[in-house]
Amino acid sequence: MTRVAKAASISAFLAVVFILVPVLIIATGRTDLYYTLTSVALLSIASAGVWLTFFIGRINIGQGAYALMGGYVSAILVVNYGVSFWLTLPLAGLFCAAASILIGYPILRLRGVYFAMVTLVLTEVARLLALALPITNGAKGMVSIPLPGALSIFGVTIIPNFAGMQSPRLAFYLLAVTMMVLCFAAMYRLVNSRIGKLCQSLQQNEELASSIGVNIAYLRVIAYAISSFFGGVAGAIFAAISQSIYPSSFTVTDSINFMLNCFFGGLGYVFGPMLGTLVLYFGWDLLFQTGKFQLLIYSTLMIVLMLFLPNGLLSLGDLLRKRGSNNG
Amino acid sequence: MKTISNMSRRVMLGVMGAAMLAAMPAAGFAENAKLKIGFVGVTSGPAAAWGTSNVRSMETLAAWYNELGGVKIGEVTYDLDIVTFDDQKDPKRAIAGMEKMAQEGIHYVVGPNVDDGAAAVRPVAEANGIIYFPYAFPKSLYEKPASNAVLGMIANYQSGPAIYKYLMENKGVKKVAFVAANESDPLSQRDGGVAAAKALGLEVVAQNDTYQNDTRDFSPVLTPIVALKPDLLVLSGVAPANAPLLIRAARELGYEGLISTETAQDAKVLEEGAGELANGFISVGGASTPEIASDRMKEFVERYTKMFGEYNDESNTKVYALDYILETLKASPAALDNVEEFKKAMDTFSAPNPYLKGDAKLTYVGSTSFGQKRQVAVPMVVNEYKDGAFETLFVGTVD
Amino acid sequence: MEQVIANGLYLGAQYALIALGLTLIFALMNVLNFAHGQMYVLGGFITYTVYGQLGLPFVVALLASGMTLAVIGALMEKYLFRTVIKRSHREESTMLLAAATAFFFDAVILLIFGEKQRGVPKIVKGVFNTDGLIMPYDRIAVGALAIVFIAAFILYMQYSRPGRAMRALAQDRVAAQLMGVAVERYSMIGFAMGAMLAGIVGGLLVTITGVNSGIGGPISIKAFMMVMIGGAGVVGGAIAGGFILGMMESVGLTVLREYGDVTYLVIFAALMVFLSIRPNGLMGKPWG
Repeated sequence: MTRVAKAASISAFLAVVFILVPVLIIATGRTDLYYTLTSVALLSIASAGVWLTFFIGRINIGQGAYALMGGYVSAILVVNYGVSFWLTLPLAGLFCAAASILIGYPILRLRGVYFAMVTLVLTEVARLLALALPITNGAKGMVSIPLPGALSIFGVTIIPNFAGMQSPRLAFYLLAVTMMVLCFAAMYRLVNSRIGKLCQSLQQNEELASSIGVNIAYLRVIAYAISSFFGGVAGAIFAAISQSIYPSSFTVTDSINFMLNCFFGGLGYVFGPMLGTLVLYFGWDLLFQTGKFQLLIYSTLMIVLMLFLPNGLLSLGDLLRKRGSNNG
Repeated sequence: MKTISNMSRRVMLGVMGAAMLAAMPAAGFAENAKLKIGFVGVTSGPAAAWGTSNVRSMETLAAWYNELGGVKIGEVTYDLDIVTFDDQKDPKRAIAGMEKMAQEGIHYVVGPNVDDGAAAVRPVAEANGIIYFPYAFPKSLYEKPASNAVLGMIANYQSGPAIYKYLMENKGVKKVAFVAANESDPLSQRDGGVAAAKALGLEVVAQNDTYQNDTRDFSPVLTPIVALKPDLLVLSGVAPANAPLLIRAARELGYEGLISTETAQDAKVLEEGAGELANGFISVGGASTPEIASDRMKEFVERYTKMFGEYNDESNTKVYALDYILETLKASPAALDNVEEFKKAMDTFSAPNPYLKGDAKLTYVGSTSFGQKRQVAVPMVVNEYKDGAFETLFVGTVD
Repeated sequence: MEQVIANGLYLGAQYALIALGLTLIFALMNVLNFAHGQMYVLGGFITYTVYGQLGLPFVVALLASGMTLAVIGALMEKYLFRTVIKRSHREESTMLLAAATAFFFDAVILLIFGEKQRGVPKIVKGVFNTDGLIMPYDRIAVGALAIVFIAAFILYMQYSRPGRAMRALAQDRVAAQLMGVAVERYSMIGFAMGAMLAGIVGGLLVTITGVNSGIGGPISIKAFMMVMIGGAGVVGGAIAGGFILGMMESVGLTVLREYGDVTYLVIFAALMVFLSIRPNGLMGKPWG
């Protein structure tokens, strides 16, 4: 893609998510879609983290653990210590990144299904810890978390107080979408940087990469830490929206869904997790009318799509392009 | 906006009705207006039984009322339309479900079924004027400043003490052991139960034993507890699927004391899963035992069975929520699209309880537990399982 | 203490049988079958219908469970997994397919068999009871049957022609193909066998623990853990993993009960530490 085309598509995307979607929602009165799309944005941030671990050749089924951790860090700081939500957001991410360095250093040596299983177990460990630790309030969860307050720098209010708004839903939508845009921009930058190229070499052959002098342990831990940072941020915002967090707020099911979002969108594409989350989550939502057949239809469609596009939805573009060039 | 669109709908209906009357004087009726009542809860996965018994109770009743020509609230007769949303026991999805209900213009929702879901939907319900009836026990949902949730059943901290007291006085229980799944709802219920037992002066010999909810074989969990020889084993917040397995494992390990729980169970599940080993198992039910069920309750069970092939005894407690909504709306038609009116009506509302023999009443209670009337009054029927059916042990009340 | 060990052994025998089918499919095709637990549930419901509802002998029911699942497994391999593996750039993509089929089974089972927990009459009545040890006869019977099935499976893999072919396939797919093994055919047989094992163990255990439509997912996850402990794709590893997990649960729940809700936390944490030290489990292939 040329520079101009790239810039044009980026601004088109930004225009859609920041202007067109809210306008359409207001015009049609479908305000329930704010939350649906907020969820999509947040879940796609967490899925982006999982995608990044795929990028270094690891199947990560542990993102739920970091989302839960992030949610609790933010909730505890806000409720017990009165810290502003806006400060807890980066802190939650950093806490998860730090934890993931400690956990990741030993377990990133594992590969394939072993890594997948250890991270799956990690999700369950996080849930059990949340039940057992005193600071998380255990089984009773943390409820009645206040909405995010105002954010002002040098006396200038940048973000108004959510609690004072008539509908915080639009505010949460804009927050989530902003975070999503930042997250994917960072990912795109990272993947196309020198480090990204090195990571890709890890995905293909770790021994070779290490033999040409790449510090693979360091690279892997960094990628995993970034991945967990995303998970923590997404979890923190979810806790703020639901104004509550329980040990069961993020479970093994969520971890598996994050992974499926990546597969579904396409592992070979940076924007795969975003599209995958959108289609999988929205698809479920759209099938809400079908009542008890919802899961049946949903899973059947998933199998069919998988049969025709096993490399993810975004591989459709490649397929069409290939077909086009064959014809031409 | 709401009232305008309602008025215009009424006008439209009137015009249409007049047109139809003119066109075919023989068939002189107009289509009823629709009243949507929502459900947000779990109808798939391991806990599917909880929400499914809710949904099916509501759908059975709705079909019944519609067959009888609808429900008259104020001047208008409505056909009921039950809108259901499966939250898959995920609090994040429960929020989406509640948003959907708001979008559909629904003001009365039954569910969610678990603590985390009920807490998560609270902001949405309060922002959109929705009254919801969770089957979750945390007091923070029902105490001020919360005001939109109405507990749809009897909480374990209300039924537990009554059961323990009864068993102390009538069965000579002295030592109690608790076992719970390692999840929020059961653990909270266990803590409540332990506190209640201690307050009554019972000796609690086991209170830390837990199991993973997906456990299929409970012998390892129960072996050390059975060795302590308690008089009463309390299965706190036990899932209906796990109850027969726990009972069977305990009995086969030689446990001879009593077993009880504070949640509703299904007799068929107990019979298939534990057979005669489940005899004497004590649980909390609604109104299906023959001693107390009215003819209307019996017809409900019949209709439910006809519609879905098999009755679920958990529905005995879940039959009430929809009737509470409808009866309160009848008493205060302005509440149709203004839940503040509903809240006002709750303080004084009273109607006969159609599911129970005698002159029991439908009222809102909970002043003692929550400081405001945010609980439906259902009879606290404590059952004992015997050879495939429940027998009433005693009936209590909550205020 | 005898009781704790007996519980652990019984638990281990059933876990090992659950893990066998999963590890077989993994060994042959590098597919982590997320639908394994759902297959188990389906097998349980078939036995429930044939033995519990229709009143036919238990053996017939068990056969019906095994056969049905074998057919389903073969069809899944032929029409779903084979296609996706062929067309996909990364073989992990089959995880999405496996998860989708797991959802599909969940939906079908819930629609057909309902949301309730189901059980069947006991196959053997009575309880074996001495001073220190209590074990119901039906558990002993099921435990023994599980061990018989495990032994039969090992012998079949060791000495039969298809068994040898499958082992060759598991060791090196390309080499096996070059040596004239009909790779596609044996992949299908292997998948069918894995599914059949899931169906049989589901049918066996429905007599003890019953079955309900929602337990498929948790069972899959438990089976994954056993396979990881022992080492993925190795028959011996799956058996060892099953027994180890069974014993850890039984002992842990007794020893750690005083400390509250920590037993599984300790088991999981130990599993993570163990795998960090031995990245391929007890005896797994180096490249899981």
